[in-house]
Amino acid sequence: MAATQRPVRARPRARRVVPAFYSLLGLLTLLGLWSATTYWIVFDPYILPPPWLVAQRMWELLGEGLVFSNFASSLGKTFLGWLFAFAIGIPLGLAMGRYRYAKAFLNDFVYLVSNVPAIFWAVMSILLFGINPLGAAFIVMIVVLPVVLLNIAAGVESVDRELLGMSRAFKVRRMLVVRSVVLPTILPFVLAGARVSFANSWKIEALTELFGGRRGVGYQIGQAFGRYSVVDTLAWMFFFVIFVVLFERIVLVRLERWLFRWRPMLSESSVVTVQG
Amino acid sequence: MATETSSVRSSSAIWRMLTSDRGAQWTARLLALGIWQVLSDRVVDRLPSPRETIEIMVLEYQNGDLITNILVSYRRVGTTLAIVLVLGILIGSAMGKWMPARYYFKDIVFILVSLPGFIWALLSVMWWGFSDKGPIVVGVLVATPILAINAYQGAQAVPANLRAMSRAYRVPLRREFRSLTLRSMSEYLFAGFRICVLAGFGGVLLTEWFGNSEGIGFRQHYWYDGNNFNGMLGWGIVEILTIVAIDRFLFDPLLRRLRAWRVGGEEWSG
Repeated sequence: MAATQRPVRARPRARRVVPAFYSLLGLLTLLGLWSATTYWIVFDPYILPPPWLVAQRMWELLGEGLVFSNFASSLGKTFLGWLFAFAIGIPLGLAMGRYRYAKAFLNDFVYLVSNVPAIFWAVMSILLFGINPLGAAFIVMIVVLPVVLLNIAAGVESVDRELLGMSRAFKVRRMLVVRSVVLPTILPFVLAGARVSFANSWKIEALTELFGGRRGVGYQIGQAFGRYSVVDTLAWMFFFVIFVVLFERIVLVRLERWLFRWRPMLSESSVVTVQG
Repeated sequence: MATETSSVRSSSAIWRMLTSDRGAQWTARLLALGIWQVLSDRVVDRLPSPRETIEIMVLEYQNGDLITNILVSYRRVGTTLAIVLVLGILIGSAMGKWMPARYYFKDIVFILVSLPGFIWALLSVMWWGFSDKGPIVVGVLVATPILAINAYQGAQAVPANLRAMSRAYRVPLRREFRSLTLRSMSEYLFAGFRICVLAGFGGVLLTEWFGNSEGIGFRQHYWYDGNNFNGMLGWGIVEILTIVAIDRFLFDPLLRRLRAWRVGGEEWSG
């Protein structure tokens, strides 16, 4: 009996261990290649510092207190942009989902904004706002807006017509229908869209700071480039990756699960993105 | 009476035209142009008007800078995308076909996707200076993971029974890849490549801006250094027109051909 049970128990563990092994192998290969390049090809740690020097620099930056203050500054501007995007995007997205004219009217805007290279937005930020924190928030708003619009419009289009018909038959107040039928259908689309667009908005925000900012992650990366310090640039680059991964995987995913714990999650394919 | 009926008919025809999809799109375009003009005239001194933007690009054309720099950037983007196409499809299809490859590349691809192109652009300037290598390498680093993810999703969509049949008939791996895997992946590859063009173009432009002596990005930076906003916006318009042209004249016909056998379906890009 025990002999027959063993393979059944061992299989799930193998399912976890084998992927983790290959995943670790991939990361170790990357680190190994990097270390080997610094040793045998580049030689000069000033041009390509080895991984441990970058890790040491990251530790120093954490000790100097620069990391949290600059990430907080960038995050504040990103959130401000998101706030503007949702304030404008909710009524416009509702109109797009409800009226064909609104959808056609905003078609070019959605298409253009989602297909313009990031550098264009950085330049526009300088043109419109100069060196001003509002510039970064404005550009985040512009970049996030199409995702909000498309997802709200898709949400409105997917509202159950039978429920709406039933509400009309029972003469339920319009506000109550919006609160009880329309909003619960739209919200998962909005949040899933926001999660998808987070990394993009964060990258654009940092780029805008690089072009014209006085604080923030992008500004710090620009300063490192100004000093021609590869080790500092790499250190900030890894902070950037760690932050995006942690924020997306821990904060946004958990928030989404918590908010919609009462209903099944949306599949990735049902989220409307502006690209592809 | 007849005149009244015909005037009612013509006014209702105008109303129909104005409220049609095309009417809505043209109203939005004209409104955007008007807002741009008002912003540059009354609100933001730095913002050049549409006329000033066109004027400086005509000057750039007359100087010979417009075509030369556009061609340099296009050559770099073309080289970048050729490399991306090979690497992205190889990595993505390997991830879709073999479990070890999937987990081996998964985190590497995720890290590369999370990284913003401008950091690679800055590093490439510090590593290679003003060379052709920088823009191309940055474009490849930014765009390859995107295509790899799409190719991976496409490879997973390959019908398992057809794959089993290929194994049963001992179809050579290369033929299986060409006749089965690539065909099943085509829709995903197309969508991924569309994003790759934007990402690769963006990577090339950023590297040209930060450290190069030729190309669209360089020219835009040239006017930035000269504090000339007309030139900055003019080259920005060139960037937008490039993407729109690629989409309308390359991708849209290709997509129509790819989906010719399908009935119905709706696409957003209008």
